[in-house]
Amino acid sequence: MFPLPKEDKKVSPYFVFYLIHAMQIGVGILGFERIIVQTAGYSAWIAILTSGASIIGLIWVSYRILNKGNNDIVAIHAEIMGKWIGGFFSFLFLLYFFAFALVVLRSYVEVLQVWVFPEVSEWIFVLIIIFLAYSYVTGGFRVVTGVSYLGILYGLPLLLVKFYPLQYADYGNLLPILNASPAELFKASKEMTLNFLGFETLFMFYPFIKDGPKSEKWAYFGVLFSIFIYLLTAFVTFVYFNQEQLKGTIWATLTLWKIVDLIIVERFEYIGISVWFFAILPNICIGLWCASRGMNRLFPVSQRSALRIFCLLLFFISVLLTNRQQIDLLQKAVSQIGLYTIYFYLPCLLVLQYIIMKVKKA
Amino acid sequence: MGFFKSKLKRFNRDNKQKRNGNSEHELRIDELLHRCKESADFVSYRYSESSPFYIHYYQTIVDINILHQYVLPYIKENESKTLFDLQQAIPIDNTEIIDNVHEIRDKLLTGCVVIEVKGSLQEALVISAVSLEKRPVSMPEVEYSVVGPKEAFVESIDANINLVRKRLPIPDLIVEEVKIGSLTKTRVAVIYIEGITDKENVNTILQRLNEIQFDQIVDSSFINQIISDNHNSPFPHLIDTERPDRVASVLSEGKITIIVDGSPHALTGPTTLVEFFSAFEDYFLSWHIASIFRLVRLFAVFFSVLSTSLYVAVLTYHYEMIPENLLNPLIASRSGIPFPPILEAIILELTIELLREAGARLPTKIGQTIGIVGGIVIGTAAVQAGLTSNVLLIIVALAALASFTTPVYQMGNTIRLIRFPFLITAQLWGLLGVTFCFSYILSHLLKMTSLGRPYLAPVYPLRLDDLRDSLFRLPFFMQTKRPLQVRSPVRTRFQPKKHEKSKRDIED
Repeated sequence: MFPLPKEDKKVSPYFVFYLIHAMQIGVGILGFERIIVQTAGYSAWIAILTSGASIIGLIWVSYRILNKGNNDIVAIHAEIMGKWIGGFFSFLFLLYFFAFALVVLRSYVEVLQVWVFPEVSEWIFVLIIIFLAYSYVTGGFRVVTGVSYLGILYGLPLLLVKFYPLQYADYGNLLPILNASPAELFKASKEMTLNFLGFETLFMFYPFIKDGPKSEKWAYFGVLFSIFIYLLTAFVTFVYFNQEQLKGTIWATLTLWKIVDLIIVERFEYIGISVWFFAILPNICIGLWCASRGMNRLFPVSQRSALRIFCLLLFFISVLLTNRQQIDLLQKAVSQIGLYTIYFYLPCLLVLQYIIMKVKKA
Repeated sequence: MGFFKSKLKRFNRDNKQKRNGNSEHELRIDELLHRCKESADFVSYRYSESSPFYIHYYQTIVDINILHQYVLPYIKENESKTLFDLQQAIPIDNTEIIDNVHEIRDKLLTGCVVIEVKGSLQEALVISAVSLEKRPVSMPEVEYSVVGPKEAFVESIDANINLVRKRLPIPDLIVEEVKIGSLTKTRVAVIYIEGITDKENVNTILQRLNEIQFDQIVDSSFINQIISDNHNSPFPHLIDTERPDRVASVLSEGKITIIVDGSPHALTGPTTLVEFFSAFEDYFLSWHIASIFRLVRLFAVFFSVLSTSLYVAVLTYHYEMIPENLLNPLIASRSGIPFPPILEAIILELTIELLREAGARLPTKIGQTIGIVGGIVIGTAAVQAGLTSNVLLIIVALAALASFTTPVYQMGNTIRLIRFPFLITAQLWGLLGVTFCFSYILSHLLKMTSLGRPYLAPVYPLRLDDLRDSLFRLPFFMQTKRPLQVRSPVRTRFQPKKHEKSKRDIED
């Protein structure tokens, strides 16, 4: 009923590293510092570690489910809960993947409008980015993996420019090291988790990994690398801004790019935002790919037409969201859904799968 | 009775068929000769009144000396009246007695002398006496190298295969030949080394060649375009090279070569994008130098494609990006120029394209003059007239120079072409436009394949082993394996000598 993909469509296990890391580094990193600092102050870096650790635990849970099911979430749902209920939950997952792509796209376009082209209306950028994403997704999963891998490679040099703000660093900002109550830290961890969302796409692309169980360690490495990047970013931001200043800075990382002073380039943020497109694009592509692939598995539609429908939807919804409040609302809604999905639904699914497999066997 | 009748009927019918067949046969060979005689260069005569032999050939493609020395004297001496006896007498190998008119026609048209006996129109003796005009093997012009072999392919397929076989004297070197083109009947040879080359690649090529429906195959580039994986791609799919040494080296890597009669360029594949930026001369230089050159070439490509569009993007939208110390010269050169940066850039780019095109079409000596006139006179005049800024002039000239560093000509053309979409998107959306355009090209490259193998390898999919000879070239002792790209059944090229860590002391 749910056939596995052909061998020549699959990718090597180590690409899971790039896929997961690419999904976790998105628009969030441009301005996550303010959000975690608002609740936990400059001890918030602990929150990055704790929420990262919890994500590693959840990846362990995911792999237990996937290794046992040996297929994607749609097939696993159908196996556990039957065609209708399972299908319903799978459909929710698809909508979530779609919404994820939507949030990333709309937030990035917002950054473009605020920082680069205030006078250009958003639909133009939305249209172009959707067109580009479409051209990648039609190439299949191998091409989508390729863009996540190359996107990370292109984005890496941006880490080098973190050096510039460090010249003006005040390391005293970090002291005292632990200056937040456990409750505050917990809240900050929760906020931080939103940035790690996206690894759930694993549930769609798992069958496309050659020798899936072997990819588990790469998934962990991917998360560890994300944690490292977030920690580094937070560190540089914390030592540059003082706490009060940071609370009023929406896009702290972007602001830091302004500090960069190369011999032939001033105002580095223009370059930064352009290069950052290669970090954004994989998010949209993987989101769209997962959504369209799921549609194809659930309903008798071809993946291509499902993709077209999703692209159209993506365009219209993005254009309809006009102001900051709406985008914020969407971001919050999607991240809340994601949060509950990974912390409650995934463990439940694991238990449920375990019980039902036992019962079926008996 | 009934039995006999049916037998008789069948006998009659068989006989009739035979006769019909014969008459058709006779008719055809007559018709063939008749049709050939419409050409002025077709010669057809009876050797002498007493001789039973009729001789037919195209005098333009037959070596008349062979005819005079080895054929005519034996016809004269030979008393016998049969073709078989004549065949025995003539001291030329590969003579054949053929009774198929189609074959006779093909032989006639490829430079054979056809001899038939008076009265017997069923069969004819075919003697090969081809004389084909060909130029001698000369220096490579497109892929010139300072060091290394200096021979290049010519237009004759046999000479070209000779050049390759000379470098690979092994029985495993297989040449498979097909004829393509309904009018040109071009001989196309697929060359590979048995055992090293993946059979699947060979089959892919042979299948695609056999599927070609086209009337004329004049050059190997026709084949390159027709069998390419994606017809809408501006990027070439197979490397065309005029160097036999490169072909020999590529063959021993497990790739496949296509040589087309009448074309001095061989095609090799499957190939990758980075291979287009490796000159064969890289292997003649020490590995450090070769690696640096390759990186320089790669940088040149990026510079050539992006520099003008970045200029347009920055000057149109992001002038804040220009640092103070650079601002002065830029303002000085751009003040008083009546055009926006995009127009300025397009004018200059088009001028360079004009120069290049004109230089390519003209004979070498005049071409040089054009270069000087264009480069110096037009450039200086344009700046002095205040039509373009000299900063842009420098950038455009450098970009043009950089695009010449691409070792494969076809790729150079592609690079020339893809700057223009970058220019346009840069004008529309600044740096972002450049990014958009770049990511679109990237999506195209990611989807592209060469003979079904990924085009962007070894970067994606990442193949660390293949990286040793791609963006840079590591020393030979590290190149122990054939590239994964070609899926060779025998991956090891040679057994590396165990590098003994010398434990000897300094002065030992």
